[in-house]
Amino acid sequence: MLVAGVDVGAATAKTAIVKDGEFIAYSVMPTGDIVTKAAEDVTVEALKKAGYTLKDLDYVVSTGYARHHVKFTDKAVTEIICHARGANYMMPQVRTIIDIGGQDSKVIHVNEVGRVVDFVMNDKCAAGTGRFLEVMAQVLNTTIDQMGALSLTSKAPSDITSTCTIFAETELISLRAEMTPRVDMIAGLHRAVARRVVLMGQVVGYRDQVAFTGGVAMNQGVKFFLEETLKMPVVVPEQPQIMGALGAALLATETRVGKIYERSQAALKG
Amino acid sequence: MEAMKRLNTHLRERPVELLKLKKSGTKIVGYAAGGFAPLEMIYAAGAVPVCLGMGGDPESVTEAMSYTPLFLCTYCRSQIAYYKLGEAPYYQLPDLFVVPIVDANNKLIADSFCYYTDVNVFRFGVPHDKRPLDADYYKYGLTNLKKKLEELTGNVITDENLKKEIELENRRRSLLKAISYLRVGADPVISSKDYVALHHAAFYADRDVYLEILQEIYDELQAKRAKMAEKKYSGPRIMLVANTLAHGDVRIHEIVEATSAEIVYEEAAEGMVPYLNNVDPGLDPLDGIVDCYFTKRIRNPWDRPWGDRFDRLLEKAKEFDCEVVIWYQTLYRDGADLQSWTYGKKFKEAGLNFVKIETNYNAAEKGPMRTRIETAIEMLGQDEREAAATL
Repeated sequence: MLVAGVDVGAATAKTAIVKDGEFIAYSVMPTGDIVTKAAEDVTVEALKKAGYTLKDLDYVVSTGYARHHVKFTDKAVTEIICHARGANYMMPQVRTIIDIGGQDSKVIHVNEVGRVVDFVMNDKCAAGTGRFLEVMAQVLNTTIDQMGALSLTSKAPSDITSTCTIFAETELISLRAEMTPRVDMIAGLHRAVARRVVLMGQVVGYRDQVAFTGGVAMNQGVKFFLEETLKMPVVVPEQPQIMGALGAALLATETRVGKIYERSQAALKG
Repeated sequence: MEAMKRLNTHLRERPVELLKLKKSGTKIVGYAAGGFAPLEMIYAAGAVPVCLGMGGDPESVTEAMSYTPLFLCTYCRSQIAYYKLGEAPYYQLPDLFVVPIVDANNKLIADSFCYYTDVNVFRFGVPHDKRPLDADYYKYGLTNLKKKLEELTGNVITDENLKKEIELENRRRSLLKAISYLRVGADPVISSKDYVALHHAAFYADRDVYLEILQEIYDELQAKRAKMAEKKYSGPRIMLVANTLAHGDVRIHEIVEATSAEIVYEEAAEGMVPYLNNVDPGLDPLDGIVDCYFTKRIRNPWDRPWGDRFDRLLEKAKEFDCEVVIWYQTLYRDGADLQSWTYGKKFKEAGLNFVKIETNYNAAEKGPMRTRIETAIEMLGQDEREAAATL
């Protein structure tokens, strides 16, 4: 059985392909303006890598904030349930998942079979998420890809008290005026992001092992500061940003989870 | 249901009816939506009560910024905005606005109306605890309210009048309770959205019309319920615990309606008619009102001490076979927020899924709200089998 898990997030769309229970391919691309197109394009790309087309798909599970708008989906499941399942597939020993995406962050407590036991999500705004780091990268004249490595070179991270994009920018301007080294500011931002999410997750609690997923997990600096704040090792799976898509594909057969849609054949273009 | 359609038609015409009544000399008494202003007393004075309890609308929140400090309950801040925007006809009608004060947030409602309008505002304090001296204090407030109503209408509120009104309000509460309890042991015969709409209709409708329609609705639903199998539920069952379920705030209902779950019980400190208890006709009318409206009522989220509130909520969750608790609070209603932390843990320890939703009545909240609620529901459907099972 060929299944696609499609995760349409705020920043990126991801698809994972699972064949007879085995993860075989994936693709990631920016979501852009039209979420339905992004979902289709990323799925076509992932299928192509695996040697298939849309017509070969037996089942599609969508997740992410646009999960109910994927026209060719059979079922929509929330990203929290999906992340838990995907992380469990890659790292069965994980019991806590910290997921930081483009615009939201979550801490999820899972059991040994990837079942969500408890969860917490950030409230209201994208403070302390991928979007925050993107904006700060621009303010500091660097790129999001370089930020993580740069943060690790600092010996004295600045104290950044806010993860609100607007207020943090104000803090950076003050620090810059005081000739604070750029790497110290970058490190301070990463530490602020880590502290914010760790504080949020205290409601759920942190149990060994802790995994870090989502696009921001590719940032080594945030990982470092998470470990420093938690005083626990944090594992990052290969392809951390596709855990949601992978979990979605793995949830295809769980009939009591998710909202079922009648997929129109016309929505599957070959 | 035909009866619901008739009720909606009646409500569409009701503001004009009330205006006509007002012009003919009948006094309209507005009251804040906390359930502590006894309707019996208002009716016994010959006035018509109208609840000022709208919410859920982002425009009112934005408008409120011109009148109120930001860091207080979104719902409470919105009330002056509804008056100032002039688009909610009921807000323009009252000759007197009764605001029982329960916390610093709803005190804002009284303060803002006093400061920014010419509306005659009457306030009295509602204690948090339920000791005899607290009941005495509430009764003292009602005694002053009685004088105010008599002064407004020129009519004396006699015990005889009060008893008549008590009988009618008891009938209202009994019918609402009976309809609610049809949801015990079977899939709900009425959606939560419609059930809460019945409560909101009580804010405005002519009572005679309302009681007649409510009876009809109950009779129809009871017949439907009688044919249903016991304890055969088609989806997860949810208890909605809200500090306020304002008239116009239907987002939680709309989100749940799109899932396989159903809200089968609601507990709202503001925005619903407190219906679980009736006024004991064997007591002195005012004592009976105090007993019903205050002493026996489930405590509010902001009451200190919390007393038996959790136990009573858990009892309801079990009675209605709920698996999920949605805790719905307005932004900056700190009393409710404080309680949510502890109660969340306690509900989880009791084996229920608990999800907390906080709202500023902002349209952008809907996506995250939906994800939280859907996750709490989907958690119930997860399989225990190994994650890497062959498809």
